[in-house]
Amino acid sequence: MKLLTCPMNGPRNIDEFQSFGPVRAKLDPDGTADTDWSRHLFRAENRKGIVVEWWRHVPSNYFFLAERDLVSNEIIRTFDASELRDLA
Amino acid sequence: MPLRLLKYGLSRDYPVSGDIPATPELKPAYDVVIIGGGGHGLSCAHHLAKYHGIKSVAVLEKGYLAGGNTARNTTTIRSNYITPEGVAFYKEGVELFERLSQELDFNVMFSQRGQLTLAHTEATMRSFHMRAEIGKHMGTRTEVVDQKGVEELCPLLNMDYGGPLEILGGLWHADGGTARHDAVAWGYAAQASRRGVEIHQRTEVQGFEVVGDRVQAVKTNRGRVACGQVLIATGGMNYDVALMAGVELPIRCYPLQAMVTQPLKPWLDTLVSSVSLHTYLVQSSRGEVVIGGGSDPYQLYSTRSTLDMKEHLAEGAVHLFPFLQGVRLLRQWAGITDMTPDYSPIMGASPLANLWLDCGWGTWGFKATPVAGKRMAQTIADGRVPDILKPFALERFETFQLLNEMGATAASH
Amino acid sequence: MNRLPAPFGSRIDRSRPVHFTFEGKPFEGYEGDSIASALAGSGQWVLSRSFKYHRPRGILSMTGADANALVQLPSEPNAAAERTPIVEGLRVSAQNVNGSLERDRDAIMDRFGRFLPVGFYYRTFMGPRRDSWLKFWEPIIRRKAGLGVIDTKAPHRHFDKTHLHCDVLVVGAGPAGLGAAIAAAEAGAGVVLCDENPEIGGALSYGRYDPGILSGLASRLEALPNLNVLTGTVCNGWYEDNWLPLIQGNRLYRTRAREVILATGAIEQPAVFHNNDLPGIMLGGAAQRLIRHYGVRPGQGAVVLAANDDGYRTALDLLDAGVSVIELADPRSGDEAGPLHAELRGKGVAIRKGATVEAAEGTPGNRHLASVRIGGSWIACDLLTVSIGNAPAWQLPCQAGGKVGYEAGTQMMTITLPKGSVHLAGAVAGTDELEDAIASGQRAATAALSRLGHAVAVEPLVTPKSVRPRYVQPIVADPKGRDFVDFDEDLQVKDLQNATKDGYREIELVKRFTTVGMGPSQGRHSALATARIVAEATGRSVGEIGITTARPPVGPETLGVLAGHHEVLERRTALHTRHIALKAEMKPVGSWWRPYFYGDASGAEEAVREEILAVREGVGLLDVSTLGKLEIRGPDAGEFLDRLYTMAHANQPVGRVRYCLMLNEMGSVVDDGVAYRLAQDQFYVTATTGAVARVYADMLFWNAEWRLKVDVLNLTGAFSGLNVTGPKARQVLETLDSDIDFSHDAFPYLSGRDGTVAGVPVRVMRIGFTGELSYELHCPSSLALSLWDAVMAAGRPHGLRPYGLEASRILRLEKGHILIGQDTDAITTPDELGFGWAVSKKKPFFVGKRSIEMRARLGQTRKLVGLQFPAGARNIPGESCLVLRGGAPVGQITSVGYSPSLGRHIALAYVHVDDRAEGSRVTVKCRNGELVEVPVVAHAFFDPSNARQEI
Repeated sequence: MKLLTCPMNGPRNIDEFQSFGPVRAKLDPDGTADTDWSRHLFRAENRKGIVVEWWRHVPSNYFFLAERDLVSNEIIRTFDASELRDLA
Repeated sequence: MPLRLLKYGLSRDYPVSGDIPATPELKPAYDVVIIGGGGHGLSCAHHLAKYHGIKSVAVLEKGYLAGGNTARNTTTIRSNYITPEGVAFYKEGVELFERLSQELDFNVMFSQRGQLTLAHTEATMRSFHMRAEIGKHMGTRTEVVDQKGVEELCPLLNMDYGGPLEILGGLWHADGGTARHDAVAWGYAAQASRRGVEIHQRTEVQGFEVVGDRVQAVKTNRGRVACGQVLIATGGMNYDVALMAGVELPIRCYPLQAMVTQPLKPWLDTLVSSVSLHTYLVQSSRGEVVIGGGSDPYQLYSTRSTLDMKEHLAEGAVHLFPFLQGVRLLRQWAGITDMTPDYSPIMGASPLANLWLDCGWGTWGFKATPVAGKRMAQTIADGRVPDILKPFALERFETFQLLNEMGATAASH
Repeated sequence: MNRLPAPFGSRIDRSRPVHFTFEGKPFEGYEGDSIASALAGSGQWVLSRSFKYHRPRGILSMTGADANALVQLPSEPNAAAERTPIVEGLRVSAQNVNGSLERDRDAIMDRFGRFLPVGFYYRTFMGPRRDSWLKFWEPIIRRKAGLGVIDTKAPHRHFDKTHLHCDVLVVGAGPAGLGAAIAAAEAGAGVVLCDENPEIGGALSYGRYDPGILSGLASRLEALPNLNVLTGTVCNGWYEDNWLPLIQGNRLYRTRAREVILATGAIEQPAVFHNNDLPGIMLGGAAQRLIRHYGVRPGQGAVVLAANDDGYRTALDLLDAGVSVIELADPRSGDEAGPLHAELRGKGVAIRKGATVEAAEGTPGNRHLASVRIGGSWIACDLLTVSIGNAPAWQLPCQAGGKVGYEAGTQMMTITLPKGSVHLAGAVAGTDELEDAIASGQRAATAALSRLGHAVAVEPLVTPKSVRPRYVQPIVADPKGRDFVDFDEDLQVKDLQNATKDGYREIELVKRFTTVGMGPSQGRHSALATARIVAEATGRSVGEIGITTARPPVGPETLGVLAGHHEVLERRTALHTRHIALKAEMKPVGSWWRPYFYGDASGAEEAVREEILAVREGVGLLDVSTLGKLEIRGPDAGEFLDRLYTMAHANQPVGRVRYCLMLNEMGSVVDDGVAYRLAQDQFYVTATTGAVARVYADMLFWNAEWRLKVDVLNLTGAFSGLNVTGPKARQVLETLDSDIDFSHDAFPYLSGRDGTVAGVPVRVMRIGFTGELSYELHCPSSLALSLWDAVMAAGRPHGLRPYGLEASRILRLEKGHILIGQDTDAITTPDELGFGWAVSKKKPFFVGKRSIEMRARLGQTRKLVGLQFPAGARNIPGESCLVLRGGAPVGQITSVGYSPSLGRHIALAYVHVDDRAEGSRVTVKCRNGELVEVPVVAHAFFDPSNARQEI
C-alpha cells in the first residue's frame, strides 16, 4: 500500500484517497472555440513525467494537490489548493 | 496421434520452424512502418503482406516481440458489447478468431467455452438485457439467463441467495472464449516474416520527422527510417508515441492487474465475471486459474503490482467460489492500459495524412487483434477508412459521438 | 526405518507418533515431521509424477519450492509436502497420476517424448475440423494438464488479517538476518524478524556449524524486548513504500516497515545431466535438512557432487548420519576445499577432483537412483547429493527495485538495489562465509539505523574474505535427453536450445514458448541455468540475457489468506426492523436493503397493485431514507448551487423547494433531486441514492477551485426520510401533534417547513414522486422509528399503507418521472429528456452549460418519450428492448410496467428525434424477436395536468 501525505491529515494509506486526475487549465467557457472546448473535456495530461493532480482524502472530503511522477509513481509533494492560484 | 507429431517423432533432429527471424539490419526506407511489435502491429503486418501485397513493411518493437499488453492481458475474446457499432466490430473479431489457427497454421488454442457475466443488482440486469438485445439483433450469441440458467451453466457458483450479493442472473455469451495470447502474436509474426515483413526487436522509436502534414521518417535508436505510411499500435505507449508526432490523444494510462493460481485439474469451463465484485476468472488449458478485475484507480505508467489489488481480487474470487480458499496463487502482474473516455478504441486517421492510429485499446485490445489488424491493413492499403471503423474515429470526441462501452467493459475487458 | 537418533531431528518429537496415509497406505511419523520427511523416514521417496512425462519425482530441496514435492490433501491441492506438517489421520495422495503413483498409466509418456518436442502444441491439434481444438484436443490437454484436484466441497476456513508497524523489518533469520536484527534492536529500533522456517538460524539450524554460534545469537535475541521474532512466517512480497505481506498460517500481517533488510539467503542450484531428476538425487541442503531437522537418513550409499565447501560439509554430515559415502566428485581441479578436503580424506572418503556426474540410472521404472556415472564409470548408489552452486534469492530484492547482474569474473549472479530504505545482507548480497554474513547483516543494520536518525558509528567497510569464483557447470545437451533444467515443467536442455532456433531468443520469449520458470518453483532452480543455455545458444553473455522479471508473490500463497475474513458492506435504514416486522420482501439496492413490497412473495403482484391503489386512492408511506441528503451552508450557498445545478437557486426564496438537475462537464445528466432553502445561507439538498457519494465529492471538488464560502455536509446516514403520499396525506398529518400548518394555503406545493411532528424535529417538503399530494418528512435517524410509528398510528384510520420500491417505480412511471441511471445513460442531455424547463437560460454559468449548448448545435438524434400499449396488448417488450427505425436500432425501452391506474402497459423509451411527436408510431423489437408498433404519448401518462399533487 502506497503512502500519500495529506496536507491536512498527514501520511495515510493511499486507499483512503481518491484521485481526481491532473489539474486542467482554466478555460472561459464562453470565450473558447468548440474544438478547444472538446479538447478540454476529453484530453487529460498523460505525459511520462511529473503531473500536478487533484486528490481527495475521502473520510474528510478534503481536496488537495499532489505532484506525482507518472512513471516512478513517486509523490514529490502535496499541497493545499490555495497554492493553485500561485501556479496558475 | 496427429500426423505432425508422428513426423516429429520420426525425424532425427528437431524440426526447426524459425518462427521469428533474428532482427535484420534496418533499411533506409519502407512502404509501411508499424510501430509496436505486439499482436495488433503484427496482425496488421500479416494482413498487409498476405492480402494487400504490401511487403515492404517494418515492424518496430522497442523490447521483445509481443512483450507488452499482448503478453499481459487475460485473453478474453467476446463481442457482447452495448453499442451496435462496437458489437459489429468485435463480432468480426470473434469470427476471425474462429479460423485463426488455420489462417496462421499455428494453434492459437481458441477455446470458445462461453462467457458468463453475473448480475448482483437489477441495474446490472437491465444493462445485460440491453447487451443481449443489441447482441441478438446483430447476430451474436448473447442472452440473459435467470438464476436457474446461471446454476446450470456454472453449478459451483455461490449464488448468495438472500444475501447482499445474490446473483440475480447472468449474461451468457456463447461466442466468448480465450486464446493463447503469445501464440496469436507469434503466429502473425511467423506468417508476416515468411512473406517478407521485417520484425525489428529492441528497436525503439524516439521521434518523427514531420514535414507539413506528413511523417517523412521515423527516428529510432538504430537509425532513421523513411516511411510511406506509419501505424501506431503501441498499446500502453500510444499516448507517448503519438505525442512525438505532435498528436495528442484523449488517452490516460492506468495499470491493469491480474494474477494466476497454480495449475489445477479442470473445474471451471466458462469465463465467469462479476460486475459488482470487479472480478473475473477463467481456467486456462494449463489448468491455471487466471483472475482479473478493474483498472488501478489512478494514472500510472508502471507494471508494478499491488497487494491491495491482489487482496481485492482474492475476495471476489473466494466470494464467487468459496472453495478457492485453499488454492494457491502463483504470480501477479500488470500491464499499462491506454484508456479512452468512452472505453472504445481510436482507429483510423490522425491529423497527419500518412499517420494511422490503432490506439486506445485500454483493457479490451487482445480480442481485436485479428480484426484491428485486418481493418487497419485495409485502411493503410486503400488510404481510406472502411465503414466498420468510421465510428471509432478520433474526431468523435469533437462531436460528442461517443461509443460508450464503459458498462460493457468494467469487469470483463 | 531411516531414522537417526537425537541430537538429529531438531524439529521432531519422538515421543509423539503421528499416523497418516499416503496413497491409501498407512504411515507413521512424529510430531514436527513434514509429510515429505515422514515419508522419507519410512523409505517412501517417490512423492509425485512429473507434469509432462509422468516420471517419478521426490525430494529435491526440502524447501517446498518445487512441483516435485507437491501433494494432494483432501481439501487442498498442491500442498508442499516438504513444508506441510503431518497431523493425525491426514490423508495424503500423489498428484498428476493416471491410476496410482506406483502404477501411472501415463508413464508411457516418457517413451514418447520425442513425439512431443518443445511447443508441439502450437503446431498441431488444429484439425481435422475448425472446432477440433475446442471439441476434441483441448479437453484431452486440459485433463492432462493441471496438478492437484480442487475440492469443491471444502469446508469453510477462517482467515484473518492484522497490521504490523516497525522501524526495521528483517526478512530471513539466518546468520545475516540475526546479525542485522540484533544490531538494529540493540540500538533501540523496533524490529520485526521473520523467517518462513519454524525455527531461527537458517543454515545454522541444519548446516555443519558449531551449535554454540546459534545459541549465542539466540540468547542475545531473547534479551531484546523490542525485537519481535515471527517464525513460521513468510514475507511473500515487497510493495511500494515498504508494504509487505507477512503470512503466518492463516493470518496475513499487512506490514509497514520504515526500513527493510532482506537477508533472504541463496538458493542451491541443481546440476544438469541425464536422469538428474531421479528420486534419491537431491541438493546437499536437502540431505542436511533431512538429517538435522528430521533425523532422517537420506540414503545408505551416497555419492557427493561438490563444487563448494557446502558439498564437503554435506559429505561429513552424511558420514555422521551413518551413510556410506562412496565417493565425492569435485569438478574443480584446485585445492579450494582445503581443510574440509583433508578432514574428509582423513575419514577415508575417496575424493575425485576434476570430475563430475555425467549421468544417472534408475531402478526399474526410474523409481529411485541406482547408479551414477563419473569419469565414464558407473558407481552404484542410492543417494546423490548435489552442491554445485547457489543463486541469490532474488525475488524480494527484485520486487524492491533490485537489478540482477552477472559478474563474468567470478561467474556470480549479483543483485544491486538503488539507495534507499531497502538493504541486502548475507548470501543474497554475495557473502560466502559465516562471519561475512553476520557482519554484512550488522552493516545493513547500521545503514538502516542511520537513515532512521539513530546516532550510529559508521563502521569501516569490512572487506569480506575474497569471494571465490563460482564453479559453473558446463551445460551440454545429453544425446539421450532427460537432462532436466526445469523439473516443474519437464524441460530439458535441448528444449531450450530448440526454442532459440525457432527465433525465441529473448529470455522472456524462451520462457513463454517453453514455459520454463512458469511452474510452482517460479524459476528458483531453473532461471540461472536457462540464462546460461540461452546465452550459449545465441552467442551472448549471461548478463545480456538476464532472468525474467520476479513478480510477487515470492512463494505460493492461498487465496484464502489474501481474501481474509471478507464481509460485504451492506446498509440498513433506521426503519429496517419495522419493514421486517411488516413482512417486507427486502432487496439489496446498491449497498442498501430496501422493502420491495410488503407481504408474501407468493402474492407479490397483488400486493404491489394494492400498494399502488392505496397511494392513488388513500394514502401510502414510503421509506426514502436511502436518498442522499446534503446540507450546504455559507454566504455563497445560493451561488454555489447556481453553478452546480441547471436551475436558479440564488434567487430561490427561503421556505421554497426547487427541483435540481446536475450535469457533468460533458453536459450529460448525472443526478437530480430537490433543494430546500432553509435560510438565506442554508440549503438542504437531496441526491439520488446511488449518486450521493459522487455528488458530495464533486461539490467540494468544484469548490476547491471556486473557493466560494460554503461548506457541505453529507447527512445521508444521519437523516431519515418518510414520504406520506396520497389524497389523504394531509388528513393523516393533521391528526398528528405538530407545530406545522399542513393546509394547502399555509404549506403549498414545492415549499418546505421546519418544525416538530409527534415530538420529532422534522424538515418537511411538499414534493413527491407519485404525483399525489405528498409530504416528505426528514428527521434525525435516531428518531425515525418514533416518527414512523406515529405516522403509522395516525394513518391507520385512513387506511395508510406502507409501500415498497416496486409500487414506487410504477407510481413514478405513471407520472413519467425519470430515474437517473435507468432512463438516462452516460450521454443523455436535458434536451433528450425534454427537460428544457429545468435549464436556466439566464445564468451565465453552470457545470455542463457550455457543452449542452454545443451539443444542441451539433443536433440531437434521440428523445425520451412515453409509449402507451393498447389495453390487453399481448406482446409487451421488456426493459432494454430495441426501438428500431429502418431495421436499425435507434433507441431502447428504459422503463416499462403495467399501470393499474390506466389499465394498460406504459413505457419510457428513446426514439429517433423525428419520431418524438405525440401520435408517431415506433417499432419495438420484443425479447422474442417480434416487432410491435406503439404510439408515442406524453410523458405524464396519469393526471397529465399534474393537478393531484397540488391539491
